[in-house]
Amino acid sequence: MSGVQQPAAVVAEGVDMDFGTGAAMAVKDAGFALGRGRFLTILGPSGSGKTTLLRMIAGFQTPTRGQILIGGKPADAVAPHRRSVGMVFQKLALFPHMTVAQNVAFPLKMRRFNPAEIAGRVERYLELVRLGGFGARRIHELSGGQQQRVAIARALVFEPELLLLDEPLAALDRKLREEMQLEFRRIQKELGVTTINVTHDQREALVVSDEIIVMDQGQIQQHAAPAEMYRRPANPFVAHFIGVSSFLKGRRSAAGIEVNGIDCAGQAVADLAPGVACLGAIRAEQIRIAPAGAPLPGCDTVVQGQVTDIVFEGERLLCFVTLPALAAEVQIYHHDPAGLDQLAKGASVSVGWTAGDLLIFAADKG
Amino acid sequence: MTNMLYRPNRRALLRGTAAAGAAALMGTLPGRLMAQDAPAKPAEIIVRAWGGSWVEALKKGVSDPFTAATGIQVRHDLTEDNEIQPKVWAAVAQGRVPPIHINWDTTTNATKSALRGVTEDLSDLSNLAGTTDLAKPVGLDGYPIVNTYGYVYVLAYRPEAFPDGAPTSWKAMLDPKFRGRIALYNDGIGFHFPAQVAGGGKLEDIPANMQAAWDFIAQVKEQQPLLGEDPDFTAWFQNGEIDLACTISTNAREAKKNGVDLAWTVPEEGAKFDTDGLWIPKGLPENELYWAKEYINFAISKDAQQVWCDGLGLPGVVPGLTPPADLVDDPSYPDTPEEMSHLIRISTKVQVENESEWFGKFKEIMQG
Amino acid sequence: MSEPGPKQDFRYPLHWRLMDGVERLADIVWPRSMARHTGWLFIAPALLLVGLLVLGLVQIADSSLRVLDTATFLPSEDWSLTNYEKALGTKVYLTVAWRSVSAAALTTVLTLILAFAYAYALVRVRKAWIRKALLITLFLPFFIGQVVRAYGWLIILGNSGMVNEALGLIGVAPMRLLFNYGAVIFGLVQYMLPFAVLLLVPALTAIPEETETAAGSLGASWPRIFWHVLLPMAKPGLIGAGLVVFTLTLTDFAVPAMLGGGSQDFIANAIYDQFFRTADQGLGAALALMLVAAGSILVGLVFMVFGAGTLAMGGRK
Repeated sequence: MSGVQQPAAVVAEGVDMDFGTGAAMAVKDAGFALGRGRFLTILGPSGSGKTTLLRMIAGFQTPTRGQILIGGKPADAVAPHRRSVGMVFQKLALFPHMTVAQNVAFPLKMRRFNPAEIAGRVERYLELVRLGGFGARRIHELSGGQQQRVAIARALVFEPELLLLDEPLAALDRKLREEMQLEFRRIQKELGVTTINVTHDQREALVVSDEIIVMDQGQIQQHAAPAEMYRRPANPFVAHFIGVSSFLKGRRSAAGIEVNGIDCAGQAVADLAPGVACLGAIRAEQIRIAPAGAPLPGCDTVVQGQVTDIVFEGERLLCFVTLPALAAEVQIYHHDPAGLDQLAKGASVSVGWTAGDLLIFAADKG
Repeated sequence: MTNMLYRPNRRALLRGTAAAGAAALMGTLPGRLMAQDAPAKPAEIIVRAWGGSWVEALKKGVSDPFTAATGIQVRHDLTEDNEIQPKVWAAVAQGRVPPIHINWDTTTNATKSALRGVTEDLSDLSNLAGTTDLAKPVGLDGYPIVNTYGYVYVLAYRPEAFPDGAPTSWKAMLDPKFRGRIALYNDGIGFHFPAQVAGGGKLEDIPANMQAAWDFIAQVKEQQPLLGEDPDFTAWFQNGEIDLACTISTNAREAKKNGVDLAWTVPEEGAKFDTDGLWIPKGLPENELYWAKEYINFAISKDAQQVWCDGLGLPGVVPGLTPPADLVDDPSYPDTPEEMSHLIRISTKVQVENESEWFGKFKEIMQG
Repeated sequence: MSEPGPKQDFRYPLHWRLMDGVERLADIVWPRSMARHTGWLFIAPALLLVGLLVLGLVQIADSSLRVLDTATFLPSEDWSLTNYEKALGTKVYLTVAWRSVSAAALTTVLTLILAFAYAYALVRVRKAWIRKALLITLFLPFFIGQVVRAYGWLIILGNSGMVNEALGLIGVAPMRLLFNYGAVIFGLVQYMLPFAVLLLVPALTAIPEETETAAGSLGASWPRIFWHVLLPMAKPGLIGAGLVVFTLTLTDFAVPAMLGGGSQDFIANAIYDQFFRTADQGLGAALALMLVAAGSILVGLVFMVFGAGTLAMGGRK
């Protein structure tokens, strides 16, 4: 957990959201604290409850249980238009009948800023999002990326305590999305505004955030910094959702996990009694692959397998390999495209890993 | 098509009763109808008529006996009289066969058609010899129309509102207690002439000087009258919207038959008397014209008149008809010279030439 | 595809085969080589109808120039502007014209206010059954038709009607609710409401709810969201609906005739009188043409000032 010294900007405590439709709760017992100036991303598949959690933080919905505090006050204590929360919406929700400058000036006018200041402030924020000189344009004259920037400027221009991003990049093509991710990060660092972003894009979460919360089925699965989240997933779901992982089913053994009678070296994330059903997870880039019989120095476990498919991804190869001994199939990144001919479909190969890279979880999840 | 929907003619709501005895008429049909040398009979002839009890009365008194005697079917076309007029005019102007054989029409409207020259002359009908002067249109040469009965624009009132007896003057309309509770036709028809008298003017000054009428109508306007058509009057009386109205006696009689407590009178200033008639548009084939004339000739026979006019509750144009029991000595059923002397009858020609101006003037006062 | 080809007994659905037949037939009747004229073929009936309309207008224009002779009830042989002079010089026509225009303007404003609220509720309400109820409530009277509805008002608002009876229960004496200017406006607004809602719903559907939420999160209270966001974004719909309501009201006949008690005539009633009551087709035609001209000019002015709204159909905004 981060933000230990700083006072928390946003705190959620035991938050439930039940829409009363008879289906499962949209959000269940969510709790977290976010320090001032931090960039948090709530990551999860669709239907995981991440958007509902964001809408409760925005104050558009009231939790059925628990509370959300922003700057120490309940999120829904004041009417939406009096809150100090800026929000960038999924479809941007720009005002098509206004110019760029009028869009950005809108919150200033609504919040009764000194009229003499408005023009200068609008221009400053347009500069910030690199749209200096675009003030007189109409919204429909801008490209998708430029519209994104207008939306950001509009959400930030009144200097809110908190910035909320509701999947604003989801509709962009990949190249533009990656460019805008870096822009979000730059602007957030420049202004130091506390930010909560919602996305289903794991790359975006890793790139922009100081902290990530992974949600699934209404529950927070893990709250951690990006690197820790990647290296130490708290459960198989997180391991599966972030990065490319392969899974082995077996029972806890002294060395790690016993799969199909073979003992594989691994590292348990929690205390697990010997013999209990468990799940081993290993990332595609942490499995090493070599032609059958070739040595794999440093590996704690080596098994034989057969390539069933191979995908050329440019800077690397993604190999699908069946391991008959373990009754499993694994995905492997191989960063030496020159070795392509040796790894042809149907080739016999040796694969191996070190004990520290095979994470062992209790088998009740995932 | 709102026009047609909205403006069912005054006849539409009337529910008269027709006298019996139609079958008995067969024997009295003129011998000419049976003549061997008559032109070829058409399968049917079309008579434009007003709906409801009006067409029922016509059917019972005239059409059915005519069919029985000649074998010619009679089809009743219920197109609104004001709307058939431009159609007939257009057909005659374009040399087409007109859409109807006979038009049952108000004398004023029929006269317009006669002046325009679209009507056939009916002077040679044999039964004209047995009719009163009423059958002859005033101010026209010959018989481009044959009038078939007369009617009166009476002052109808709710007796409840007149505990001291019937109003004696049209000026009763000016009583403040009837503000918003009186009704006139929306073009003022039937009211112009008594208004001329009530306003202190003379009937002889019509149409030259009608200032008295306009002054009186302007006073009535201050009373916020409702303006409408015949069905409106019946409905307004029934719903208790009005206490007084200038309307055709048959509407008042109709409302009374429907259970509304209603009476009517001819005030001291008099009341307008007018007639309806039958005419034949030009352009029919020779044989059809012949049988259309036979139809009208039969319609003014005494037997046909007795049944037809009983159904309508109106005085016919043949002397010696028996009035319906409820209308004996009623001022709205004038059958004596004494009764006629209280009524105002203005030459059709004068009416036809000035009517649109009067309507316009009336509208101008009422729409102001 | 690893799927095997269609099985022996496979048949295309009936409507595919029907369409194939129609296409073969069309090829015979209208060969492919004529394809570039097909567009004209399809608009030919519409062009014909418009053409007939224009012919009718020409004929009306002709008769508007002929004066009725009440001695013969024939239109004059030669042309003159007498009918127009009479129409413009007679106070009653000016009164009636002014009443039509002002009532159309008032009806348009009132209808748009009510229709906006109704359409907004229709678009934003979450529960499907409420939306259905709103739709049924709106369209039931729509299907009943103008004249029957006006008769309904005569019954409900009459001196012994439901409203007056209800007032009587609380000790209010019966009052005249019908046959005045207010009753006509009431009837017109009630008649026009479904048209306006129908034209406003697409315009409001096009405004994402998120835009309103966004405006709120940016600091706008509801009245300011309405004024600064909803109203300007709904403008095309409002103009379209306004034009339709205005022109329909301006030319209405039945409501003023039935609820006006005879003293609240509109231009259409005056025209009807000339055509069917006094048989003066010339004057009626002149009035009709002046109504067409006045309506066209007013609509043209709105187009120039505000644009055509949703009626521009993809043209410039």
